[in-house]
Amino acid sequence: MRPWSLLLVVLVALPLVAGVATLPPHYAPDAPIHTHVGARYLERGVAETGMKNLVTAVLLNYRGFDTFIEVVVIFTALAAVLALPKGSAPMPKGSAPMPKGSAPMPKGSAPMPKGSAPMPKGSAPMPRGSGAIPKEAGAVRPREEEDPEVASDVPVSPVVRFVVRLLAPFMALFAVAMLFRGHITPGGGFQAAAVFAAVFIALGLVLGRARAARLVPVDWRPWLQGVAPLAFALIAWVGWRLTGSFLGYPIHDHTAQEAMTFVLEIGIALGGGVILARLFLEMEA
Amino acid sequence: MLLFGLDLDYVAVVVLFCVGLYMLVAKSNLLKKLLGLNVMETAVFAFIVTAGMVEGGDPPIMVAGTSAPYASPIPHAMVLTGIVVAVSVTAVALALIVQIHAHFGTIEIDELKELP
Repeated sequence: MRPWSLLLVVLVALPLVAGVATLPPHYAPDAPIHTHVGARYLERGVAETGMKNLVTAVLLNYRGFDTFIEVVVIFTALAAVLALPKGSAPMPKGSAPMPKGSAPMPKGSAPMPKGSAPMPKGSAPMPRGSGAIPKEAGAVRPREEEDPEVASDVPVSPVVRFVVRLLAPFMALFAVAMLFRGHITPGGGFQAAAVFAAVFIALGLVLGRARAARLVPVDWRPWLQGVAPLAFALIAWVGWRLTGSFLGYPIHDHTAQEAMTFVLEIGIALGGGVILARLFLEMEA
Repeated sequence: MLLFGLDLDYVAVVVLFCVGLYMLVAKSNLLKKLLGLNVMETAVFAFIVTAGMVEGGDPPIMVAGTSAPYASPIPHAMVLTGIVVAVSVTAVALALIVQIHAHFGTIEIDELKELP
């Protein structure tokens, strides 16, 4: 297997190197990437969009459709992850072939509604008693049951716990700063979402998923997860009312444009962050 | 900087891409395959961003303190889109790997093939 893999890699690398060799000189100001539409954005971007950060201008204004579909993509990814059958949690070794009945799941009724679908799989003879998995998750699960409030999923050193809890507010503040200063500094909605999710995941690792999950209220989750596409739909409709074209921006009204992009940024930061956090919560073996 | 007439940055990107491809093809652990895919994606992002840079360029943020020439803003926006897609792919793949591990107790392709 290995020699064939290496051969394949070489076969792919050769055309890539050949292609790279034909590219225009690196960093040259007259390369096509700097002379076509990019130059136009740099020339008139500020006057047309009112945004100093032209990456945001391209992202939300010139190529707004692209970003609209992009937030739909990550929303769809979450939907796909949520649609996977639950209730197939690893069963303790050598237990009865029906893992459902014993229900060692601390999450209560959550995995049950879809329980009927994966049942055939659960009842099939599972070829896993052979001890091929040394790191069985069973060692972790009971701790969670004992005290779901404080127990984390993995043992965490006190130093890590202290540092994460100390820094979490500042990380969240940094995310907010990136969101609100994204128009004049590097940053913006997606970056803020990534930092928000990082805070959530760090807290989840230290404090335990159950406690971190309470940061995102269950009742609000469906709306928070969809808030990015919804914000885009709203702004697209507003743009249609104002200019007559879908996701259009009033080119001479910078105040309206800033308000519209600000709504989009907040929607992206909130929705993206919640989607990433929810993805982390769902990754439970 | 040139290496045998090639831009060293682009060569590094090709090397990174090939490292990821090798991980994707040669490893039998699904998690390592996914990591390889992510390395390949990173190589593509690095390539696009590198292509958008210009000699002595400033970031395309028109505030006091920056001056022409500016780096092209389009590659940055495109890579942002690409990163989101990469995250989505990684999330779905991870969820599937978790399911595979829960059902079969292994994520090694070799062992999965031998299962009845």
